[in-house]
Amino acid sequence: MSTPRRLVFTVFVVVSAQAQPAGPPDFSGVYYPINPFGANAVPQPSAAKGKEKGPPPRPTRSAPLADGSQGRAPDAPSLTPDYMAKWEIIRKSRMAGSSEYDNTAKCLPPGMPAMMSMAYGMEVMQNKDKITFFSELNDALRRVYLDGRKPTKKILDDPTYAGYSTGHWEGDTLVVDTVALHENSFIEGFTPHSDAMTVKERIRFLSPGLLEDRITVTDPKALTKPWETVKTYRKATPGSGNDELREFACPEGLGEAK
Amino acid sequence: MRARVIALSAMLGTVLFNPAPGWAHHSNVAFEVTKVITITGVVKTFEWRNPHTWVLMTVEDGKGGKIDWAVEGRAPGVLLRAGWTKNSLQPGETITVDMSPAKDGSKTGLVARVTKADGTILANAGPAQQ
Repeated sequence: MSTPRRLVFTVFVVVSAQAQPAGPPDFSGVYYPINPFGANAVPQPSAAKGKEKGPPPRPTRSAPLADGSQGRAPDAPSLTPDYMAKWEIIRKSRMAGSSEYDNTAKCLPPGMPAMMSMAYGMEVMQNKDKITFFSELNDALRRVYLDGRKPTKKILDDPTYAGYSTGHWEGDTLVVDTVALHENSFIEGFTPHSDAMTVKERIRFLSPGLLEDRITVTDPKALTKPWETVKTYRKATPGSGNDELREFACPEGLGEAK
Repeated sequence: MRARVIALSAMLGTVLFNPAPGWAHHSNVAFEVTKVITITGVVKTFEWRNPHTWVLMTVEDGKGGKIDWAVEGRAPGVLLRAGWTKNSLQPGETITVDMSPAKDGSKTGLVARVTKADGTILANAGPAQQ
C-alpha cells in the first residue's frame, strides 16, 4: 500500500471507530465480593488462607456477622432512638445464638441492600432494557428496569424484600433507585429499618473486571442521616472454574430443622 | 397416665423430628466464631446439602468412650470453589476438624478447616475468593 493510500485507510478506520456510539458498559458476568458485609467486623488475618498450614483459621470471612457482642461499628447506619432500641433487642437475641433475626438462616431473601453483599458470588445478566442481579446465597434475585418504566401505586402498595428497582445510564455509570421495600429485612443484614427506606446506587467499572456499587440508604424513620457504603466485586475469569454459580436450594436443609 | 402419654408423645416427637440431635440449620451467630477448637475423629456420614454441609463423626472422649459430633460446614457451592467435592470425606476415614464451637455447648461447631489423615487440608475458600 502506498503512503497516501495507507493514510486514507488509517483515517477511515479511525473515523469509523469514532462514529460508533460507545453504548453503556456490559456488566454481565460472575463476580465475587472483595468486602462483603460483616467481613470487617472482626479482623480476619488468618481466615481462609487456602492450603496453608499453621494456626487454624476462623470458619469464614463473614463469620463474625456482627452478633452485636462488639457493639455497633463506627461506620454502621446511624439509628434513631426507636430503632436503636429495636437493634438492642436483636443484639441480645443474636448474642444468645438465636437465628430469629437472621433472614438468610431461615432461607428468606436477604433483601436490599443486604443482598448486595453477595458473599457467595453474584451473577449479572444484562440487556438494554433490564439488568438482573442474582445472588448464589439463598438464590436471591433483583431486577433493575432500564426501559423507562416507573413504579406504579400498585407496586408501591406491594413492598418486597428486593423492592422495585429502576435505572438509567449516566455515562458509564448505572444509576439505580429502589423503592417498595418492606421492613422484614435488615439494612446490611443486622440493622433494622422502616418501610420508608429507599436505596440509591451508582454502579460502574473502576477498571476492567472490577465493579463498584456506591450505595446510599435513606430512611427518615430509622436513620438520623443517609447511610453510605461501597461494595466492590471482582469478575471471575472464564475457565477459572469460578465463573459459574451453583444452585443453592436453601430449604433442602430446613427439612431437618422442622 | 395422661401425663405419661404426653411425655411419651413429646419424646417420640423429638425423635421423629430431630433425626440427629443438634443437626439443624444454624445462623453463624449460634457459634463462638472468635474461637477455634480442634477435634479428631472418624467420619460417620458427610452430608452434601444446602444451605450447609454436615459431617457426622465419632470422637473418643479420652475415658474409653465415644462421643458423636455433628459439625456444620459451608455450602456446597462455596466448598466446590474451594476444591471440595461431595466425595471429599468418606465414612470410616479419620479427620481432624478445626471449628468454632456452638454457644450452647452442644456437640456441634462451624467448620473452619478439615485435615485428612494424609495431611491434605480442605479449606473453606480458595485463593480466588480471598
